[in-house]
Amino acid sequence: MESFTYVNIFETKGLEYILLICFLILFVFFVRYMNATEKRT
Amino acid sequence: MDRRNFLKTAGVACATAAGARSAAADTQEHKPEEFIGVLVDTTRCIGCRSCEVACAMAHNMPVPDPKTDGALEAVRTTSETAWTVVNRFDTDAGEVFVKKQCMHCWQPACAAACLTNAMKKTETGPVIWQSDKCMGCRYCMISCPFDIPKCEYDHWNPRIQKCNLCWERLQEGQRPACVTSCPTDALTFGTKRELMEIARKRIYTNPDKYVHKIYGEFEAGGTGWLYLSAVPFEQIGFRTDLGTTPYPEYTRDFLYAVPVVFFGLPALLYGLSQLTDRDGSGTGPDPKVVAETTDHQAAH
Amino acid sequence: MSATHTSPPVQGTFRFIWNEMKPRPPFWTPFNMISIPIIVVGMVILVYRFIYGLGSVTNLNQDYAWGVWKGFNVITGVAFAGGAYALCFTVYVMRLEKYKPIIRVTVLNGFLAYVFYAGALILELGRPWNILNPIIGNDFGYNSVLFLVAWHFLLYIIAQFLEVSPVVAEWLDAKKAYRVLYAMTLGLVVFGITLSFLHQSGLGALFLMAKPKIHPLWFSEFIPILFFVSSIFAGISLVIVEGTLSGRYLKEHIGIPEAQSRAILFGLAKGAAIASFAYYFFKLLLFLHEGHWDLLGTGWGLWYLVEVFGLTLLPCLLFALGYRHRSLGIVQTAAWLSLLGVLINRLNVSLIAFNWESVNRYYPTWMEIVVSLTVVLVEVWVFRWFVTRMNFYPRPRAARAHTADGVPAARLVETA
Repeated sequence: MESFTYVNIFETKGLEYILLICFLILFVFFVRYMNATEKRT
Repeated sequence: MDRRNFLKTAGVACATAAGARSAAADTQEHKPEEFIGVLVDTTRCIGCRSCEVACAMAHNMPVPDPKTDGALEAVRTTSETAWTVVNRFDTDAGEVFVKKQCMHCWQPACAAACLTNAMKKTETGPVIWQSDKCMGCRYCMISCPFDIPKCEYDHWNPRIQKCNLCWERLQEGQRPACVTSCPTDALTFGTKRELMEIARKRIYTNPDKYVHKIYGEFEAGGTGWLYLSAVPFEQIGFRTDLGTTPYPEYTRDFLYAVPVVFFGLPALLYGLSQLTDRDGSGTGPDPKVVAETTDHQAAH
Repeated sequence: MSATHTSPPVQGTFRFIWNEMKPRPPFWTPFNMISIPIIVVGMVILVYRFIYGLGSVTNLNQDYAWGVWKGFNVITGVAFAGGAYALCFTVYVMRLEKYKPIIRVTVLNGFLAYVFYAGALILELGRPWNILNPIIGNDFGYNSVLFLVAWHFLLYIIAQFLEVSPVVAEWLDAKKAYRVLYAMTLGLVVFGITLSFLHQSGLGALFLMAKPKIHPLWFSEFIPILFFVSSIFAGISLVIVEGTLSGRYLKEHIGIPEAQSRAILFGLAKGAAIASFAYYFFKLLLFLHEGHWDLLGTGWGLWYLVEVFGLTLLPCLLFALGYRHRSLGIVQTAAWLSLLGVLINRLNVSLIAFNWESVNRYYPTWMEIVVSLTVVLVEVWVFRWFVTRMNFYPRPRAARAHTADGVPAARLVETA
């Protein structure tokens, strides 16, 4: 029932920042992958 | 109450205080009204269902026959023809009877959801439904955390049906029908302030009889109906995961953002369109001209 | 255009419109053969529904207050109409010439989608005759997200109608009206994009108060942002699909050169790829934030994974693949999958994962589905009527509303 415990609402922030960095890196690769043909022609 | 909930409640209290100051001008005109509600002591309820009968008679709904209909065999929800129902639960502490009806929230999700204010939180607390305003969108049903508003689907002109805390009787100075019909004083009518004192006193004087919690004190931001129980509330059909945030708060950020977006975005878009305006005409490209030129290209 | 044809006599205009209303051959096409019976049955069901109430034709119950008419026609239909604001932004704000040939038809599509899909809201209203209450102030429930959405639908329909109107003026050969209406376009576009941003996200915000009812894998306080971002690539995907279908069935009305139409299509595919890539990471971020790892092993978890990987990431990668290899087939597959993904997402939030613990599961009746299809098919009929009579596409010379020597078609009918 009711309890007096500490709840960390920012628990997952570390993981979220890692995902953010992954996203930025992958986004560069994703766009480079798509644009590969444009360079060739 | 845990720390997080305390902080939230404190925040709400501050917000309410800030709001109260601006509303002070109105309240000085007439006597400040306190929200009223009902305290349900489930340890006193004997499951006679007199409240169901009284409610049905007070609101011209089909009157149940508690002696013969055997309705306690299954757990029921309120319906478009029964604004309140009593359910039986088999718990650690034996049979427990629980009355169910609209909780009359402090800050009702249904009233915040209603785009015509047909669902209305009255000054004294009852949440009522006004047929001349309602368009039957049923967004109140989507929003209510207690699943209380019900719709008459089988009618060409459906009404939304839910307990109105006997709003019409209250205006005549009477108490709600269910409260007056209760033979065991399981239902106590009063202002929430008084009811909280009564409820706390019962818990303090009988600490072993009751679970040390008053359901409705903080649930969904606090409700008009309060419940005392001998067993944990999960065992008698209550949702204990609704949180203490008033439900309209969930849409607050979005609704606050709307005017901000409406100031900012058109300016940004117009500015962008002027920045990208290569020929300086000030207007957008005329698709008619385009139609002609592309066709011209196609012809060759 | 010769100066003598200023404005045709009113009588002639009416006769012209009357003639244009008539269906054109060929009438007995497979589409007509299938759609006419569905529409007729749908209309009958609707008459029945308004006489005997929603309960007589739908499976709506007290746990599922909104059914497929809201979940599919309104919520999904409006998301699919997102292409109009996305392309208006590209063409009128960013001034990308490349997409000009399809801007008119996309705006028309958006306009009709709102008229029919936002209009489908009326079908599910219990008391539709009170629909004007939030507009006329009985009462202004400005505390409601739905109030905002309702007003935005109304304003957006008006804005889109005015955006479409220059083409109608051109069709009626009303030159002055064309100039006046056309002059408003940029303002309308700016207004329309703002409205779209707010009501696309507003449709998501409708479900914020349903927090305890939606399965934790689908509920998030960021639903409005998810709905907005997904409406971008859903809208673009619909433009791709619509372009493919009209390219096949309305070929004689479209005068976009092959090379240009390919360039447009692949440009759109790239845009959809980037938008859905961002959306996919949004979903991942929210999943990490909520941290419901334990729920992934359940049936609901698998269904969630199907949506996130099969219907979000897969179409995103297919768009990229199709763009890289300039493959029409892959891009079209991606567009269909992407639409399916957004459809499933909207149905999950509004119906499937909504009240997921309820024992009164909602399954639409055949009548609800017929009415849903009726709304879509009538929209297609009206869309076809517009594009075959007015200059929504750059026209091939033979099909123009104005003949080669500048005599408006209206005049030809009049003199014939």
